[in-house]
Amino acid sequence: MTAKKLGPYQTLKAEGTYKIGADKPTIAFNRIGKRGVRRYDGYAKASGKALYTRDVLLPGMLYSKVLASPFAHAKILRLDTRQAEAYPGVRTVLRFDDPAIHGRELTGSIAGPTRMAPQSAGWAMLPVKTILGDEAIFEGQMVGVAVCADSEQIAAEALKRVKIEWEQRPILLDQEEALQPEAPILIPGADSNQIIDERELTTKGDVEQGFQEAEQIVEFTARRHAHLWAGAELPCVIANWSGDKLEMWVHEQQPYLSKLILSEQLNIPMNKIQTHSLYQGCSFGERCNPSNWHQNGINVLAVLLARKAGRPVKLVLNRAETFYGESGDVMASHFKVGAKQDGTITAVQMKSVFANYMCTTGVEHLIDNTRISHLRCEGITAHVNKPPAWWCRCEQLPNVFCQTLIFDHVADALGLDPTQVALRNDGCEGHDPSYLSEFKRRHGFPDRDSLRECIEAGRKAIGWEEKWHAPGTRRLPNGRMHGMAFTWSHDWDDTRGTGSAAVMIQNDGSVSIIAQHSDVGVNPWTAYMQIVADELGVPYEDIEINPFDLNVGFALMSPDGSCNLGSNGFVVKKAAQKAKQMLLDLASEKFDRPADALDVKESVVFEKARPENRMPLKEVVKMATPMLNAVGIWTEPPVLAWAWHTHGLWGQALETGRPRMCRQANFIEIEVDTETGEVFVTKVVNVNDVGQAISPETVEGQMYGGTYMGLGRALTEEMVWDPSTGVLLNRNLLDYKYATLLDYPEAECIYLETGLGHGPYGSTGIGENTATMIPGLLGPAVYNAIGQRVDDFPITPHKVLKALGKIKE
Amino acid sequence: MKEGSKATPLNLCPYCTAAFDTFEELKTHVVSVHKTEPLPKPAGWIALTVNGQVHELKVEPEWTLYQVIHDRLGLMGVKMFCDRGACGSCTVIMDGRPILACMSLAIECDGKHIQTAEGIAEAKHPLVESYIKHHTMQCGYCTPGFITTAKALLDRNPDPTVEEVMEALGGNLCRCGTYPQHPKAVLEAAQTLREEGSK
Amino acid sequence: MRTFAHFNARTVDEVVSILRRYGERAHVIAGGTDLLGKMKDELLPKYPEALVNIKSIPGLEYIREDHGTLQIGALTRLEDIAADPLVRGKYNALAEATRRAASPHLREMGTLGGNICQDIRCWYYRHPDNRFPCLRKGGGRCYAMNGENRYHSIFGANVEQGCYAVHPSDTAPALIALNAKVKTSRRTLAVEDLFEVRVGKTTVLDSDEIVTAFEVPTPAKATKSSFVKFALRKTIDFPIVNCAAMIASEGGRVTAARVCLNAVYVKPYRATKAEEFMAGQPINEANAEAAGDAVVSDAKPLQHNGYMVQIAKVMVKRAILACRSEAPPAQT
Repeated sequence: MTAKKLGPYQTLKAEGTYKIGADKPTIAFNRIGKRGVRRYDGYAKASGKALYTRDVLLPGMLYSKVLASPFAHAKILRLDTRQAEAYPGVRTVLRFDDPAIHGRELTGSIAGPTRMAPQSAGWAMLPVKTILGDEAIFEGQMVGVAVCADSEQIAAEALKRVKIEWEQRPILLDQEEALQPEAPILIPGADSNQIIDERELTTKGDVEQGFQEAEQIVEFTARRHAHLWAGAELPCVIANWSGDKLEMWVHEQQPYLSKLILSEQLNIPMNKIQTHSLYQGCSFGERCNPSNWHQNGINVLAVLLARKAGRPVKLVLNRAETFYGESGDVMASHFKVGAKQDGTITAVQMKSVFANYMCTTGVEHLIDNTRISHLRCEGITAHVNKPPAWWCRCEQLPNVFCQTLIFDHVADALGLDPTQVALRNDGCEGHDPSYLSEFKRRHGFPDRDSLRECIEAGRKAIGWEEKWHAPGTRRLPNGRMHGMAFTWSHDWDDTRGTGSAAVMIQNDGSVSIIAQHSDVGVNPWTAYMQIVADELGVPYEDIEINPFDLNVGFALMSPDGSCNLGSNGFVVKKAAQKAKQMLLDLASEKFDRPADALDVKESVVFEKARPENRMPLKEVVKMATPMLNAVGIWTEPPVLAWAWHTHGLWGQALETGRPRMCRQANFIEIEVDTETGEVFVTKVVNVNDVGQAISPETVEGQMYGGTYMGLGRALTEEMVWDPSTGVLLNRNLLDYKYATLLDYPEAECIYLETGLGHGPYGSTGIGENTATMIPGLLGPAVYNAIGQRVDDFPITPHKVLKALGKIKE
Repeated sequence: MKEGSKATPLNLCPYCTAAFDTFEELKTHVVSVHKTEPLPKPAGWIALTVNGQVHELKVEPEWTLYQVIHDRLGLMGVKMFCDRGACGSCTVIMDGRPILACMSLAIECDGKHIQTAEGIAEAKHPLVESYIKHHTMQCGYCTPGFITTAKALLDRNPDPTVEEVMEALGGNLCRCGTYPQHPKAVLEAAQTLREEGSK
Repeated sequence: MRTFAHFNARTVDEVVSILRRYGERAHVIAGGTDLLGKMKDELLPKYPEALVNIKSIPGLEYIREDHGTLQIGALTRLEDIAADPLVRGKYNALAEATRRAASPHLREMGTLGGNICQDIRCWYYRHPDNRFPCLRKGGGRCYAMNGENRYHSIFGANVEQGCYAVHPSDTAPALIALNAKVKTSRRTLAVEDLFEVRVGKTTVLDSDEIVTAFEVPTPAKATKSSFVKFALRKTIDFPIVNCAAMIASEGGRVTAARVCLNAVYVKPYRATKAEEFMAGQPINEANAEAAGDAVVSDAKPLQHNGYMVQIAKVMVKRAILACRSEAPPAQT
C-alpha cells in the first residue's frame, strides 16, 4: 500500500500544521534554555540607536493631525475648513465628505467577520464604521477633517481654525445605566443599547442541579473600571508614494494583516506596498487591531494625504490623543457559587455587564482548567460613550478576574486554604486531572501535575505555611494589617498564530534568518537565533536577523496572544532543520559520504563515525551562492530553506484543539495602612510552568515586568471621565498613574519546565500571564488583611477606607 | 517649524534692555555704551556642546531641547513618551544634571554641555554592557532615558547604594516593567568603573 | 508649542522692565516644568506673548546660613536643597519636602521659587485647549464641584469664586511651618501671606514682581520639623494630602507649634486648630490624633473626596508625631 503522494503545496501545509503531541528535542541544547546569551537587541536599545517609527524623519516630510471631537456624542452639522486651508504651511486638508474617504469603512474582508471587527470593539452605535466620519461617539474620537502641514504645530494650529457646528446628543457613561429602560437609545434604530454578541450565554451542565449538590452557596458582586495600554511610543504612521508604489513605516504588531486591509480598501496591489516595521515602543494589544481606527484608520488617512500632497506624510498622535481606547474588561459582575465542604465547587453562575466590548466572557478559564460540571455565564455588553474597548494585555482579563474572585470567596466561605481549593478543582472541561493524564500519555507528554508543582514552589517561596492567616487577624508591629492571597490558572497557550521564515547560510558560513517580525520588547529574536544555532549546529554569534522589512516576503507571527515562540519557534526550528538537511546534502558531495552519515557542530561539518574527517562550514558552502559573477569557476545553489507553521486554536476540545496542561500560581503579601487606606505590596511570588524556557532571562522579564503592570491596574490605573460631559479627565501620564520603580518590590519569579506546553520543545507562552493574573489578586489580599471585601478595581485608598468604615458616603 | 505670523524679533540689550531694530544697531550700542566684549549672539542663536561636539544653530523660542537634539541633530536616543515631564524618556545630562529635554527650551540652553545615550555608548561607558547583560530593556523605548539618568548619578556618586540608584531612577517610567534590573545593572557598572579607575 | 517672544534676562531689574512692558501677557520662566506643560496644552484662554527666562540671572542660586537664618535663592534647584547637609541638619521639613516633590529630574530642573509659584491642580482647569472655561480662567463655573472631585478641596471653595482646585506644592507647607519669609523684587513677606486665589493667579505678586529669595529662621535647639506626603505613587506624583509641622518643646511639652497642610484647599491650609490643641501638651499618639481631629472638624468634603478628610487627619497626626525628639522617620 502506498500513501498518496502530496503535491508541494500540500506538503508545506502538512509539514506546517501543528499536530497534537509533545515536541521532544532531537538535538542537544547548547544555547536553548541557557542563561547569559547576549541579548540581540541590547546594544541598539541601550545606545539610543534603535530606531522607532516615531523617530523617522524623511526629507520633505509633512505632518498630519486629525480633529478630535470635544464632545462625547455629537454630529457635525456644518464644517468650514477654509481658514485652515488658508493657514500658512498647510499643504492638504482631507474632509470627511471628500470622495476619497467618504463612506470608507474600517474593516476588511478577512478581519471583518472575526471578533477583530470594529462592531465588536465598541463601535456598534455607528451604523457605518467610517474611517473619517461626521459623528463622534466618544470624546477625543477623530472625526471630520485631517490636515497636513509643514510641522506638527502648524497642523495643530490649522485644526483650531476649523469651524464646526455640532449637534450634541445625549450621552451614557455607565454600562448598567445604559441598559435601564429609561436610558436614551444610542444605537440608531435599535430598541436597546445592548450590543449583540454570540457569546452572550455560555452554559455547561445544569447550575440548578449544581446548587442542589452544594453545601454552601456564596454570592457576591465585583466591579472593574477602565484602564488602558498607555504604551511608550506614541502611535504614528508614515506613508510615501512613488508613482504607483507605496512605502509605509508602521508602529504595529501585525503589519502584514494591515497591508492586506490597506490593499483591499484603497485597491493598491499588495506587491506594491513596501512596509517597514522598526522597533516597536510597547504595544500590549494597543497596536494589534488592524481593523480599528487608531491603526488601519490612520494608515488609510496617511496614504490618502500623501497621495494628495505628493510628499511623505507622517500622521502623529500626541499623548492625550493616545487615550483612544480602553480595556475590554470594564465589567460589573454578580456571582453565585455552590460548593461542598471539602472545597469542591459544584456550580458557578455569573452575570456580567460589560462596557463597549467583552474581551472574554469570564467563564472560559473555568472550562479550560477546572472540573466544575455546572456553569452558567451571562455576558451582556452595553454601549456607552467611551472609547472602543479592546484587548489590553490581555483578552483573558475577565476570565482571570472571575476565576480569582470565585476561588477566593469559596475558600473563605468554607474556611479552607485556597491552595487546597485550587487543587481540589483543578481539571479540564469538567473532568478531573486523570482525564488530562490520559491525554498526556496518549500524546507523549510527561504525566506531571503542573498545578501541584506550581503551588508547592510558590507556597515555599512566600512562606505560606507560616504566614497564611484568617482574614483581618494579623496586625504588624508597624501598625499595618498583613494580608496574603493566592490565585492560579492555566498557562497562556493562546498560540493560534501563523508565521513563515527562511534560514540562509551565507558563503562565509554566517547564517541569516530572513523574515519580517514586529517585536514589542519580548526578546524574540534572541530566542529564534538560539533555536537556529542549536538546530543548525552553528554558534549563536554567527546568526543574524533583519526583521524590519516586510518586503522580504516571509513574515513571522506577531507577539500578540503570547504567540511568539509557540508559532515562530516552530517556524525557525523547521526552517533550520531543512537548511541543515540541505547543508548535509551539499556536504555529502564534498565528503563523498551519505548525508545522514554527516553532522554539524560549532560550524564544523564532520563524519559521525570518524569525527576527524571534518571540514569548516564555510568551506562547505564556499560556492553555494545566490549570485556570483563566476567567470571560469563553478558555482553551486545556495543553502536556503523556508518553513511555515500554524498552530490552530487553543483549548476547549480535547481532540480537535489543545487542552491547556501547564499551570501557574501567583502569591502576594501586602500590608494595609488602616488609617489612610494605602496598600503596600511587600512580596510577590509568580510561579509559571512555561514547559521549556528558551531564554530564561526573557521568561523572567515577562514575569517581573508584568507584575508592575498588574499591580498598577489593581491599585492606581484608572481612566476617569467627567460624569456630565463624558470628557476623559486624565489624558496624560501624570494623572493616569502607572507603576514607577519605587512603588513595588521586585517579584520573585520561579519558572518550572514540565514539557507540558504545545510549543516547540514543550514550551508555552509567557508574555501576558502575570499582568493579567495580578490585578484580581489584590481583592483577596486586601480582604485577607482587613477582613472586609473591596472587590471594586482599582482598589483606591478611598475604597479601602470606606470598607473599613472610616469614612461615610 | 516657523509659524506664519510671528512677532518681530526684538534685539534687546542684555545690560539695559534698550531695544533695537537690527542686531547691528544693538552691537554698536553695546560696544559704545557698555564698553563690553564678547558680544551677545544674534537673537535665537545658541551654541550647544553635545557629546563633545559644538553645534551652533538658530532656534525658534518655542523649540524644545528635545526638538533640537532629536529632529535637528538626529540623536534619536532622546525619546518622546509623555511629552509633559512625567516619564524621563527624553533625559539628557546637561551640565551634570539629568534633565528633561521635552520640558526645556532650547533657546535657554546656550553654552550648555549635553550628553545623550549615543555619546555615553560611543564613550564605551560600562553602563551599556551591563544593561545588555542584565536584560535591562524590553521594548527599549525608555532605555536611553534610564541610561542617561544612571550616568548622571554615577558621575556624581561613583559608589551608590541600591537605594540611591532606585531613588535616582524614580522619575523614569517603564511600561514593560524592567524596573528590577536597573539597580543591578547600574551597580555592576559602578563596580566596573571603580575597578577600571583603580587600574 | 505656539511661538512667543523670549528674553534671557540678565538682571532682576531687566525682568521687571520687560514684565512692565508686557503686563499680564508675559510669563516668567524658571525651571519651566509647570509652565511649558501648560503652554503645550494651551489650557489658558490667553497664550503668553512673551517668556522671560530668569535662569539666566546670575546669583539667585544659593543656600547659606546668615545671622540665624537660612537664605535660599529663588532659583535654587529642589534637588540641591534636598541634598544640602545644612538643610538636612536643621530644616528637616524643607529637606523632606524637596526630597519628596515631583521626580528626580523635575527636582533637578524645578526651583524653590517656581515650586511655590506653581499653578493650581485640577483636571478640569488643566484639560487641554481650555476645554473647561472655569472660574479660575474667568469663566462661568466650577466643573469639579459636581463632577469628579476626588482630588479637590475639602475645606470649601474660596469665598469669592467657588473654585475647588487645590494648591499642590510640597514645599509651600514646609516653608510655612518653618515660618519662612519670601523676598520679591519689591518686598519681603511671610510665605504664608504669599498665596491668594484670583483669576489666573495663585499669589499676591503683582504682574511685574518676581520671587528672588527665601529666608528661613533657624529653629531653636529643642525644635523639630517634619514633612509627610500621601500620594498614590511614591514618585512622579502630586500629593493627595501633605503636611508639614514645626514644634518647639520644653520639658516634654509643646511650647510652640506650626502645622500646615496642602493639597486640601485652594491654598496652603494652616492647621491652626492643631497648633492650638498641641500648645502645652506632650507630643503623643493620643494628642496628635486629637489635634488631627480638631483640624478636620470643619472639613466640608465634596461627593468624592471624603477620604481626603481622613487622610488629612492622619497626615496632621503623623507630622506632629514625627516632631517627637525621639521620633523615627515618618512612614508616609
